[in-house]
Amino acid sequence: MSNKSKELVQKENAVQAIIVVDTFDDEFLPLSNDIPHALLPLVNKPIIDYTLEFLSLGGIEETFLFCCTHIDAIKQHINKCVENAEEWTQTMKVNVVVSESCRSFGDCLRDLDAKGYLRGDFVLVEPGTISNINLLPLLEKHNKITKIDKGAAMTLIFQESGLGHISRCPKEEVLMATNSSGRVLFHKKLGTTRERKIEFPLEIFLENSTVSLRHNLKDTHISICSPAVLPLFSDNFDFQTRDDFVRGLLMNEEILGMTVYSNVLKGGQFGGAVTNWRTYQTLSHELKNNYVYPVQPSQKHNSFLKNDVIAGQNATISKSAKLNNVIMGDNVKIGENVDISNSFIFSNTKVEDNVTISLSIVGPNCLVKEKSKILAGTVLGKGVQIEKECFVEDALVQSTRPDELDSRDVLGKHAFRLVLDDNEPEDVVDLALARKLSRLHIDQNLGEESEDDGFSESEDERSSYTHSPAPDDTKLFFTEVIDSLTRGFEDKLQCDNLILEINSSRYAYNVTVKEVNFFVIKAILIMSLRQPMGPQYFSQLQRLLQYFVPILKNYLRNESAMLDCLQAVEDVATSNENLTEKWVMFVLQYFYDKDHVTEDAILKWYSTLDKKSNFHAQVKPFTDWLQEAEEASSSEDE
Amino acid sequence: MTLQAEFQAVVLAAGRGSRMSEVTTGIPKCLLPIGPKPLVWYSLYKLQCAGFSDVIMIVLENEKSEIHSVLEKTNLDIKIDYVCVSEKDEDLGTAESLKLINDKLTSDVLVVSCDFVTDVDFKGVLDIFRMHNASVASLLVQPQPNEVFVVPGPKSKHKPERDLIGIDTQTNRLVFLASASDFETDFSLPTSLLKKHTHIKIYSNLIDSHVYVLKNWVVKYLKSEDSFTSIKGELLPHIIKKQLSKPPKPVNTNTSVINTGDNGDIFAFSKEDELDINIRNTSSYNDHTGDLKPTYHEDSIRCYAHIAPKENFGVRVNTLPSYWWINNKISEKWPQITGDRLEFVPVHPKADVKSNQVDNKCVIWEGAKLNEKTSFKNSIICSNTEVCSFSRVFNSIIMNNVTIKEKVAIENCIICDGATIEGGCQLKNCIVGSHHTVSEQSEHTNEVLTESDRLMEF
Repeated sequence: MSNKSKELVQKENAVQAIIVVDTFDDEFLPLSNDIPHALLPLVNKPIIDYTLEFLSLGGIEETFLFCCTHIDAIKQHINKCVENAEEWTQTMKVNVVVSESCRSFGDCLRDLDAKGYLRGDFVLVEPGTISNINLLPLLEKHNKITKIDKGAAMTLIFQESGLGHISRCPKEEVLMATNSSGRVLFHKKLGTTRERKIEFPLEIFLENSTVSLRHNLKDTHISICSPAVLPLFSDNFDFQTRDDFVRGLLMNEEILGMTVYSNVLKGGQFGGAVTNWRTYQTLSHELKNNYVYPVQPSQKHNSFLKNDVIAGQNATISKSAKLNNVIMGDNVKIGENVDISNSFIFSNTKVEDNVTISLSIVGPNCLVKEKSKILAGTVLGKGVQIEKECFVEDALVQSTRPDELDSRDVLGKHAFRLVLDDNEPEDVVDLALARKLSRLHIDQNLGEESEDDGFSESEDERSSYTHSPAPDDTKLFFTEVIDSLTRGFEDKLQCDNLILEINSSRYAYNVTVKEVNFFVIKAILIMSLRQPMGPQYFSQLQRLLQYFVPILKNYLRNESAMLDCLQAVEDVATSNENLTEKWVMFVLQYFYDKDHVTEDAILKWYSTLDKKSNFHAQVKPFTDWLQEAEEASSSEDE
Repeated sequence: MTLQAEFQAVVLAAGRGSRMSEVTTGIPKCLLPIGPKPLVWYSLYKLQCAGFSDVIMIVLENEKSEIHSVLEKTNLDIKIDYVCVSEKDEDLGTAESLKLINDKLTSDVLVVSCDFVTDVDFKGVLDIFRMHNASVASLLVQPQPNEVFVVPGPKSKHKPERDLIGIDTQTNRLVFLASASDFETDFSLPTSLLKKHTHIKIYSNLIDSHVYVLKNWVVKYLKSEDSFTSIKGELLPHIIKKQLSKPPKPVNTNTSVINTGDNGDIFAFSKEDELDINIRNTSSYNDHTGDLKPTYHEDSIRCYAHIAPKENFGVRVNTLPSYWWINNKISEKWPQITGDRLEFVPVHPKADVKSNQVDNKCVIWEGAKLNEKTSFKNSIICSNTEVCSFSRVFNSIIMNNVTIKEKVAIENCIICDGATIEGGCQLKNCIVGSHHTVSEQSEHTNEVLTESDRLMEF
């Protein structure tokens, strides 16, 4: 090996690339505690293998692999590949560069700058990148640009991709303005912002006769860099990521005198990076379907079964198991009557009988015992053991006991729920949304945004143009609450879990406490209306309310919450014409009897009602009764 | 019974030319001489070439007879229906003029400004309108390479107005239109627009020709709304913005059927034919790719832009520099403009030319009298103008009924209607206002010479 490597290094102008393999974030917790991001199996092959294969196919001759954590594992892996004489080792030399002190992507590049390994233009690859792009023409193009524009520091590579395509990570949505020669004039990540307007500096339009505004792009996480890039990182200590770099260059264009260009690929050229579970999911899918040909998962190692199931070596699957769109590692054992869909099962994991797993990731060496359910975005870390009949939903689970632990988060001897502490309270909404966007792709309509009239806000409307009420956040919140409750009632889920679910959607949609109270009650009542209005109806309604008692208790804590609740009753009753006085009576009676609302609250609310309304008449008998009862009781006291 | 025409053409010729008042005081703007023809002739001729047999022309009342008599002599086949607007209506906007003739407009409308000289065929913009059953289609022209001309009059820095025009690259939808001067430092677009049209090109150098094709409902909508004064400034931006809105959903299907007609909402006007919608929904055609949205995003309001090819030119003669530019170029551009169907006749047969120093770039109108021993280069001499002996005129525009006495030297000047240049004058880079008399033996450079009280009016 050493002889060969010397030969390659001596080659004067070898085409060079840098891969930074650490992500410096917690997207893949708890799995990333045990497995470095680079060695995370993607269709049963470590991610780094795809990246290296792509680089060698793309024409790179020397690669610097920069790693800060799990150094030994990565070094060992690279050595093993060289021993096995993997294809890429034949044309490309890989140098593992180590620095344990780096805390960000920017630090890594500063470190590399100090080491001075790089000679000319090079390719910069962010962690987890998988692609089939031929890099040499792109390098050539960048070189041509630098001949015209001496300040050209970087060419960002994008892939054209329609809005809402699954391969676009909603967190990385980018809006870019370029001039006719591809120079980037404006670059903004739209991911977690909910701004209704985007502001552009006017001068970019006046200085360039045509400006392209593009929102149909997917970041490939590949960039072609001039030698100036590394010193620029060294000079600007606040550059932590590549996006910081781009932003910094655009902001200080006059000072730094540096420019950024873009290149948009079309057709069969594919690029993307595994940055979170959602992109993990889409890239698995795309690799499986050979979108990234010739880069592809190992054909020998995997068995391709029906219903989009892939299994590694020595997998044991019982005949009665129902599998759909599952990728399994080596030595996986699947028991009888197991139902797994849209999930990933890593190597050496055992799933016992009658287990349901859906939209989840089960890490290596796990044991999922009988009749458990693992649902909706759950991630099990290495060696987790899920006890019998356990229910886990949307949780990160690890096998070792964390330092600080709430008793609720203990799921078993080797299963502890991991709660990520978010220290930035003001960003809570953004963070919750960001989390949501980086989870597995669960709901097809998640990316759908309300299409409302962004112009009308500032425009002083000449006349009262009516617009359709756009599905706003509260409305989305409401439908989500209904969904949660319906599912909870049907599957007999614990109300505590439902409360958690409702609260998390509350943060995601930025809904006030009052609205939460209002919509939760409204949702329960609306659910009851799905039943036929027969004689059975009221017993059904009672059963429903009975089931949700913990939820009602949780939300109806004070008088203002009770008023919200009563308003919900009013809202439902007035918007459904076929609801009779009997219904109103029954609901109020029930809430009153079970102490969800107090007499004072009811009377206070009653006084706010419109006296002429039909609804007022419907409530009247009940309040009359209340007052009578009070008088009676007070007279009794005497 | 006659067949309903597909399009009706309207020429807006009631403008006063307030941006070039130095030369438009004594002459209707639309009759400014350009080469051998008055300005409005070029718009009318283009319409005639596009196949129009009739045109409605909006003119100022006091100018009508003059315009009529001038156009009579130009041998146009197109039938002109003059509609007068009273000169008392100060600065009647383009949208307001269109509103005046609302009753005459029964088809879709092609609106042309009288000051647009071009070699672009109107077919392009009409076709894109037809193709997408558009609400509005607009014709845009690419800018001409910059050339340096010395424009007569005081030296001033001319700053052209710039528009910001946003066009979807895939569909040619016109998604944004505003004047660059409306913004100070920042320019904002709604996020929803960027999500709907994911690849927009914003142009800041295109010339809006003020040629618009309007669906008939737009004219009807214009009538019902009082607030629009100009097409470019208000009506068009409004309709373009409305593309992003969705029509209000009928709250109750029983009542909405009756109410839609008269609630004044733009969507009540833009409503498409049920059959058209059905045909579109059943067809596999889609105007865009990249998302899974239906054809045209189900918009009933659709605005399009047609950008003329680079080799074509178009110029709006509404400023002195553009007027000067087109006069210098007209003989060169003539074959393109007329499509070689009309011969360029520089010297009218009824002109009285005794001079033997008239170069081939000169244009001499009917009734002009050029005496012996005069010299002309690259100039336009209009009707009934007399130039006496021993005078020379270089690179200049001499309008109608001008008298130029002996031993006068005129270079790079515009001499307006009825002016008199007395003997021995030397004028360079000057504008002489209408009916002004330049006194004997005077010398002027880079000046506007006019009776000051005449200019005061404007």
